[in-house]
Amino acid sequence: MESTLFGFIWRYSKRQQIIILGMTVVSFPILYMTLELPKWIVNDAISGKDFPKSIMGFELTQIPYLIVLCGIFLGLVVLNNGVKYVLNIYKGVSGERMLRRLRYILYNYILRFPLTRFRKVSGGEIIPMITAEVEDVGVFIGEAIATPAFQGGTLLVYIVFIFAQDPFLGAAAVSLYPLQAYVIPKLQRRVIMLTRDRIKNIRVISDRIAETVSAATDIKANDTARYHLADLSDRLFLNYRIRLAIFRRKYMIKFLNNFLNQLPPFFFYSVGGVLVINGSMSFGALVAVLAAYKDLASPWKELLNWYQNLANVSVKYQTVVENFDVDDAVPTHRLDGLGEDAINLTTPTIALSSLAVSGGGSGQEVLDVSMEVKPKARLAVYGRDGSGRSELLLAIAGLLPPIAGRVTIDGHRIDELSHAMVARHVSFVGSEPYIFNDTIRDNIVYSLRTEPRRDGENGGTGDVSSLRYAEATLTGNSLLDISAPWEDYERAGVSDPSELDDRLIELVELVGLEGDLYRLGLAAHLEEQLTESFADKIMTARAEVVRRATEDKSWAGLVELWTSGELNNSATLGENTLFAVPSDPGSRVWEAAFDPTVRDALKTAKVYDLLVDIGASVAATMIELFSDTGADASLIGDYSFLSADEIPLFEQRLRRYNAKPQKPLPQEDADAFVGLAFRLVPGRHRIVTLDAEQEAKIVGAREYVHKALKGNDRYALFDEASYIPPLSVEENILFGKPRVDRRGASERIDNLLRDTVKELGLRDPIARAGLNFEVGVAGGRLSASQRRRIGLVRALVKRPDVLILDAVADGDKALMTRIMDACAEHTLIVGTADPQIAKTLDKVAVMREGRLVAQGPWDSVQQIAIDGVAVEALEKEAS
Amino acid sequence: MSLESDAAALRKIPLFRNVDDQKLRLLAFLSERVRFDAGENLVEEGDFGDTAYIILAGNADVVIQSVNGEQLVATVKENDIVGEIAILIDVPRTATVRATSDLVALAVSKEHFFKLLTNFPDMAVEVMRALAHRLERTTREFGRLRAALADG
Repeated sequence: MESTLFGFIWRYSKRQQIIILGMTVVSFPILYMTLELPKWIVNDAISGKDFPKSIMGFELTQIPYLIVLCGIFLGLVVLNNGVKYVLNIYKGVSGERMLRRLRYILYNYILRFPLTRFRKVSGGEIIPMITAEVEDVGVFIGEAIATPAFQGGTLLVYIVFIFAQDPFLGAAAVSLYPLQAYVIPKLQRRVIMLTRDRIKNIRVISDRIAETVSAATDIKANDTARYHLADLSDRLFLNYRIRLAIFRRKYMIKFLNNFLNQLPPFFFYSVGGVLVINGSMSFGALVAVLAAYKDLASPWKELLNWYQNLANVSVKYQTVVENFDVDDAVPTHRLDGLGEDAINLTTPTIALSSLAVSGGGSGQEVLDVSMEVKPKARLAVYGRDGSGRSELLLAIAGLLPPIAGRVTIDGHRIDELSHAMVARHVSFVGSEPYIFNDTIRDNIVYSLRTEPRRDGENGGTGDVSSLRYAEATLTGNSLLDISAPWEDYERAGVSDPSELDDRLIELVELVGLEGDLYRLGLAAHLEEQLTESFADKIMTARAEVVRRATEDKSWAGLVELWTSGELNNSATLGENTLFAVPSDPGSRVWEAAFDPTVRDALKTAKVYDLLVDIGASVAATMIELFSDTGADASLIGDYSFLSADEIPLFEQRLRRYNAKPQKPLPQEDADAFVGLAFRLVPGRHRIVTLDAEQEAKIVGAREYVHKALKGNDRYALFDEASYIPPLSVEENILFGKPRVDRRGASERIDNLLRDTVKELGLRDPIARAGLNFEVGVAGGRLSASQRRRIGLVRALVKRPDVLILDAVADGDKALMTRIMDACAEHTLIVGTADPQIAKTLDKVAVMREGRLVAQGPWDSVQQIAIDGVAVEALEKEAS
Repeated sequence: MSLESDAAALRKIPLFRNVDDQKLRLLAFLSERVRFDAGENLVEEGDFGDTAYIILAGNADVVIQSVNGEQLVATVKENDIVGEIAILIDVPRTATVRATSDLVALAVSKEHFFKLLTNFPDMAVEVMRALAHRLERTTREFGRLRAALADG
C-alpha cells in the first residue's frame, strides 16, 4: 500500500483529479466574465452612446441592449453556479470513492493479519482508525490537486503582473516569500508531530473505553471506578496539552503569515512613495501594484490553508496506514485461493516435521515436534494450558505459521495452501468460538458461507446489482452480493433449506444442545419464520391443552385459559378488554389506552367510563398506599403502578376526576386512567372487585374492539383457532395464563407442557423454532458451554475431513463419545487437559513445555502424562 | 376478595396487631392470595422458605417427621398464621403444613415484609414489641417447666 497520501491519491484518482482540475480551469473564464460583464453594462449600456449597437447581426437600441446584456449576465451567473454545483458534487463523489477504497483496503488488511497479530492490536484502537481518522482524508482528496493548481496559478499571474509594472516592486512583493517558505514548514513540522501524538492519545482513550465496556464486571467488583476515572482524566489532560501546543503553533503560523503579508505594503508606501515623488515611477503604476498586491493575499492564504490541511491529513493517513500495512500480512492469493488448482485431499495424511511455532509470546512455544497423523486417526494431544498444546493444534489447522519446520497435508505445506482449501478440509474449534450477534441458525451455517451461490435460484447471480457493481468496481471493493444466498448446501451434504434444518437438528442433538434449543424455541417469538404447518401443529397442541384442562384437575388448577366469553382473572384488564395484544412484543398492552381507535371502540362499547372509574380508584389506592404512608422511592419504584414522579401528576388528575360532574374530565386524564386500569390483574391486585355486571361489560367490549381493530397491523387479535405471532410459542400453545393464585404454576405448567408436546411430536418443530433464537452480543444470552457446542456444530456441519478440537469436550466424556461416533469417517485430533477424554482416543500425544514427550495409546503414556506432572511438582517442592 | 378484607385478616395476627391500618393495607397489596387443594402442602419440613401464610379460609394440619413416621402436632384454621419464622430469620421449616380442605391463604414474603420494616421504623417497633411479648411468654413457660421438672 502507498506510504504517502499523494502516492495513494495519484494511484487511484489520477483521472478524477485531472477532471477536477479541468473543470476548475473551465469555470475560470465564466467567473471572469461575470466580473467583466457588469462593467459593460454600466459603461456601454447604461451610460453608453452610439446606439443602435449590433450583437450577432441584430441591431439593438439602448433598452433592448441593456436587457440582452443583463440576460447574458443572468445566464452566466446560473452557469457559474451550475459549474460550481457539478464540480462540488464531483469533488465530493471522488473523495467519497477514495474514502471507500481506503476503508475497504484497511478492513481487508485486518482480515489478512496473521492470528498472532491480534494479540497485540485491540478493536478499541483499530475502530477509530477506519471510521473517524480517515474521514478528513476523504474531504481533502477532492481538493488535493485542484486547489494548489488553481490558487498557485492565480498567485503566479498576479506576481507576473506586479513584476511587469516594476521589477523592483515585484521583488519587494515576493521578497518575504522565501522567509515564509522556510519558517512555516519548520513550525508546521512541529504541529505534525503533535498531531501524531494527539491521534495516538485518542486511540489510547478509545482503547480504554472499549476495555471499560468489556471489564464492567471487574471494575464494579473491585470498586476501581475512581482509578479508571483518574486514568481517563489524565489522558484527557494530555489531550488538552497537546491541543494547546498545536493551537500555539498553528496560530503562530497564521500570525507570522499575516504579518509578513502586510510588511510589503510598508515598502510599497515608503520606497514606492519616494520613487513616485522622485518621478522615477508613475503614480498609476504604484496604485496598480498596491491593488495587485492586495489580491495576492487571498490565494496565498488559500494556499497556506491547503498546505496546513495537507500536513494534517497526511499525518493522519500515515499514522493509520503504518498500523495496517504490516510485513507479515497473509498474501491475498492465499486468502481467496484464486488461481489454485483444486487439490484432492479427501483422505489426508498430516505430517509434522521438526515443527516450531510461536503463539505470539503469551503461550509456550512449540519446539521441534515431529509426528504423523494417518487418515481416520483418532489422536489426543494431551497437555496442560501453556504446554504448547493449543499452539500445536493451531499450527496443524494452518492458523499459526511455523517459525521452523513444516506441517504438510498429503505432502502439501499447509502454510502454502490457500485458506479456502484448508478450510474446506480442516475444521478447528477452540474452547471459545466466537458467536455472532445473530440467530443460532445463522451462527451454525456461518461455516457454509464462504462464497455466494451462483445457481440462479432466487434470480440471484451472486453479483450485486448494476449500480452497486459499477461503484464497487470503481473503488476496488468486493463485487459479491451480500444478499445472495451464501449457504453452500453441497458442502453440508444437503440439497435444500429444509434438509439443512434436518441436518442442523441432527447435529444439535449430537452435541447435546437439543434440550436447550427446545426451551429457547418455547420462548421464541415467530413472525417471518412462522410456517403454516408449524402454526397448525401449535393449534393441535392448543386443542390438546384445552381438552386436558377441562378433563384433568391438575391442569385446570394451574392455567386459566382464554375464552372469548369469560374474564381471565390472571391476565391484565387490558388484555381482557381488547382480547388482543400489540403486534410488537416489546410494547405493553396498556399503551393501547392512548390509541384513538381503541378509545372510540371502548366508548362505543360503553365500557370507557367504567375503565376510567377503575383507573381512578387504582390511582387513589396507589397514592394512599405509597404516597400517604411516606414509602421511599425504591418501594414505589418496585411495586407501585405509579412512579414517584407520576404520583403528583395523578393527584391532580384525581382532583379533576372528583370535580367531574361540574367539569368534564380532559381526554388526556381519562386515557391515563384507562391506562392504569389496563395494567390491573384482577386475580393479583385486589384493588377493585368487579361484579358480574361489570365483568360482562368488559367481556362484551371485546366484540367492539375486534371490529374496530380488524386489519390493524399494530394489534394481534386473540382467536381460539389461530396463531398469535406476538405471543411466544409457549403462550400460543397454552393460550392462557398461569393462575396467579397458584404457587409455582409456571414451573408445573412447563412440566405438563413437556409431556403434551412430546406426545404430539412437537418437540422437533419447537426445537427448530429455537434455531431462530437471537443470541445477543457475542452470544451473551447463551452459556459458555452452549457457545462451545454451537461452535462445534458449526465445524461439523461443513463435514470436514480433519476435525481439530481444543479443550471443547473437557469434562464431558459423553459428548466426546458422541463426537467420535459422528466422525467415524474423519480424522479427529482432540486437544485436551482431561485424562478421561485423552483415554477415549486411540492414540495420545503428550505435550509438555513445548515438546512432544510421549506418543502412544493412553496406557503406555499415562505414566509420563500424569506422573510426569507429579514428579515435576515434587522436584519443585524439593528445590 | 379485596384489600380491605385481606388487611382485616392481617390485623387479627398478633404480630401485626398494632400496625397502622394503611401499612397493613400496603402489606396486603404486596402479598399474594394463593389457593391450595386439599392434600397440598403449604410448607414442607426441612425446606428453606421465605413466605408466611395467613389462612383466610380452610383448614390445615401441622405435621412433623418422627421415627414413627408423620406425627400430627396441631391443626390450623382461618386467621392463623403459619411459617412466620421464615420471614424473620433463615431457618429450615420446622414442620409440614398440609391443607385438609380447599384452602385460601395470604402469602407474605420475607422480601416484602423487610422492605416495609425498613421503610417504616414504627412498624418495626410494633413487630419487635409483639415478638418481645412472645419471648417473655415463652421464657415464663420455660421457667415454669424447668421448675416443674426440678420438682418432679
